[in-house]
Amino acid sequence: MSRVAAPTARRLPTARGLSFAVALAGLGIAGYLTVVHYAGGEPVCAIAHGCATVQKSAYADLAGVPVALLGLLGYLAILGSLAGDGERARTVTAVLAFSGFGLSAWLTWIEVAELHAICIWCVGSALCMTALAGLSAVRLMRP
Amino acid sequence: MSHAPRRLLAALGASAVLVAAGVAVSASGGTKAATPPAPTASATFRGIPEHDGVLGDPKAPLTLTEYVDLQCPVCAEASAQTLPWLVENYVRPGKAKLELRTLHFIGPDSERAAHVAAGAEQQGRLWPFVEGFYAAQGQENSGFVTDDFLRSVSKAAGVDAGKALAAADGEFAMRRLERADSDATRLGVNATPTFTIARGDAAPKVIGSGVLSHAKLKAALK
Repeated sequence: MSRVAAPTARRLPTARGLSFAVALAGLGIAGYLTVVHYAGGEPVCAIAHGCATVQKSAYADLAGVPVALLGLLGYLAILGSLAGDGERARTVTAVLAFSGFGLSAWLTWIEVAELHAICIWCVGSALCMTALAGLSAVRLMRP
Repeated sequence: MSHAPRRLLAALGASAVLVAAGVAVSASGGTKAATPPAPTASATFRGIPEHDGVLGDPKAPLTLTEYVDLQCPVCAEASAQTLPWLVENYVRPGKAKLELRTLHFIGPDSERAAHVAAGAEQQGRLWPFVEGFYAAQGQENSGFVTDDFLRSVSKAAGVDAGKALAAADGEFAMRRLERADSDATRLGVNATPTFTIARGDAAPKVIGSGVLSHAKLKAALK
């Protein structure tokens, strides 16, 4: 009796796997901004300016905690919650991602309407949070 | 209702509470933003000659040039943290002279400020004017560079405001902005503040950008 190897299924990345990748990207961005915050003075006013204005605004801290550090902790918490795939873990990921998305949307509005400056790193993080919120919703709706 | 939509709604509800709390804290912090202080002049440059915007002894062997945009908040920070130290340790003893190139890439306020700074330079008061400007600097592109603001900065810096504002539209101011742009392009300066150093008549070299540490500047000025 011949043995035929079963065809290997090519699996698309799961919502959880994609979330992990996006959260890692967000962690990198938030990590950079946190280092910049504590190093002081950077990022300089590059020709594509805006980051310095945002970083030095009254909105750069939340109750005395740098927003960049909050983002870093948020991404770490999301990565931690992605370790599990049960109902509770998915719900925790979703709460974190939706909250991150909401706060990112608020801060992006502040950049545009109040500060008249766009920080490209902050936009990158906001996009990560948007993607994470969408992926979390998909995971939550799945059985 | 099945479990999945209920979970989604619960997560959305919990997030909404967290976001509302965050926004409330953030908004209250935002409204507490301090209004810019009135421009002030310090004693940093007192007794130091300024000719054609060059601060210090024209024969000093080292020339440190700073590329700035007067709206740039990091430039203001660099000025506060490094200028007094540079002046006391290098300019006053005649070891180095300082030059300034005012770029205007952030917005229209930058251009207006750079033009009037050139007017202050014609009166031999560029450096006090820039220091006073930074002390009262507003948010980028918020329209804070009004004629009233420029008069107030000029007054604090010992500049004749009427003459400086009149000179802002003149040929000299135009040439100063063009020189700053062409020098920046030639040296590849694409951020402010950027510092360059030149020894004697040698070509200037970029030291770095941002708020440079005293140690880094010291090494460059050896």
